[in-house]
Amino acid sequence: MPYDWGALFHGIRAIFSLAGLVMTSSFIGFGALLHSMGLAIELGWYTTLFIWAMPGQVVYLTMLAQGASVVATALAVSLTAVRLMPMVMLILSKARQEGQPRWPEYVLAHCVAITLWVISGQSIEKLPRHRRLPWALGLGVTMIFAMVGAMTVGYYLADALPPILACAIIFLMPSFFGLSLISSAYYRFDYLAIALGAVLTPIGMLYFPQFDLLVAGLVGGCAAFLLGRPIRHRLSKHEAGEGRS
Amino acid sequence: MNIADWPSWLGILLFGFTVTYFWRVAGVVLVRRLDPDGEALLLVRAIATALVAALVTKLVIQPSGVLAETSIVSRALALLVGIIVLRLMKRYQSVALMASLLALMVFETIRTSLL
Repeated sequence: MPYDWGALFHGIRAIFSLAGLVMTSSFIGFGALLHSMGLAIELGWYTTLFIWAMPGQVVYLTMLAQGASVVATALAVSLTAVRLMPMVMLILSKARQEGQPRWPEYVLAHCVAITLWVISGQSIEKLPRHRRLPWALGLGVTMIFAMVGAMTVGYYLADALPPILACAIIFLMPSFFGLSLISSAYYRFDYLAIALGAVLTPIGMLYFPQFDLLVAGLVGGCAAFLLGRPIRHRLSKHEAGEGRS
Repeated sequence: MNIADWPSWLGILLFGFTVTYFWRVAGVVLVRRLDPDGEALLLVRAIATALVAALVTKLVIQPSGVLAETSIVSRALALLVGIIVLRLMKRYQSVALMASLLALMVFETIRTSLL
């Protein structure tokens, strides 16, 4: 059955949700962060439109502000984006249809972010299959443009806000990512990866200041996977098919 | 080559967009061939999780902008409050998030009024 493009508009409405609200606040925080780093607003627009993954955007802008090299920046952004690949696969495995045009899959891939993954996990399976991809696409494209607006508001609001509130909004972002990681953690090695990534960061910052995130991510992630794997096998035997949506 | 030497939009397209979209396309292509629960993807998932955890930790230890004026103790405790609330109310991530923000504001108000 061909895609039902009427579901695009249904998807647009899904932005008025709790997850959409959190995302809006964190993009207001992103705008305020950009402002506090002394960077131009265009950088916020371009990174939101072209990168559309806040960890990647923050890494890009942080490295830009530090005057990092092109290679180090591209590598670091790329490694934060690896996370998007399984998310794209998980959303598409529920949304795509065999024998239908493939271009919408490539457009949807660009819209995938942590929040879209969370909202999809909650509601995509309630929709008939031919409505899912248009629904996700409507939601994703709406999010991108809405968040360009939200970050612009945050950028110009940064000065008007009382400092303590501005701090809280900027803090939303690391807090949101941290809590998202923990609430989406499913396997034992997810928790290990979070712990090792966190513990290795100060060490990385001390000994590999340019590559601290790469070192903590690669070493922590590989170690967590190797250490957590046997436990994962036991888990997946009786919990297969649950909780990874 | 310094990233700051490039026009902002071109730099973001070349060193932000392409390297990000690469993984998105990889996902589109691989979803037909790979088992989404396969071993290779789980390793990728672990690395990505550790990387985002590292980013969170770095932003707590060494934040940019206004947040740098807060104490690292307040930031770390605020995140801890969020994590504890999340463990107590698994379904309500937004409640945990609000608790964490509130904790940061409370800790900072106490700290600045004591000094």
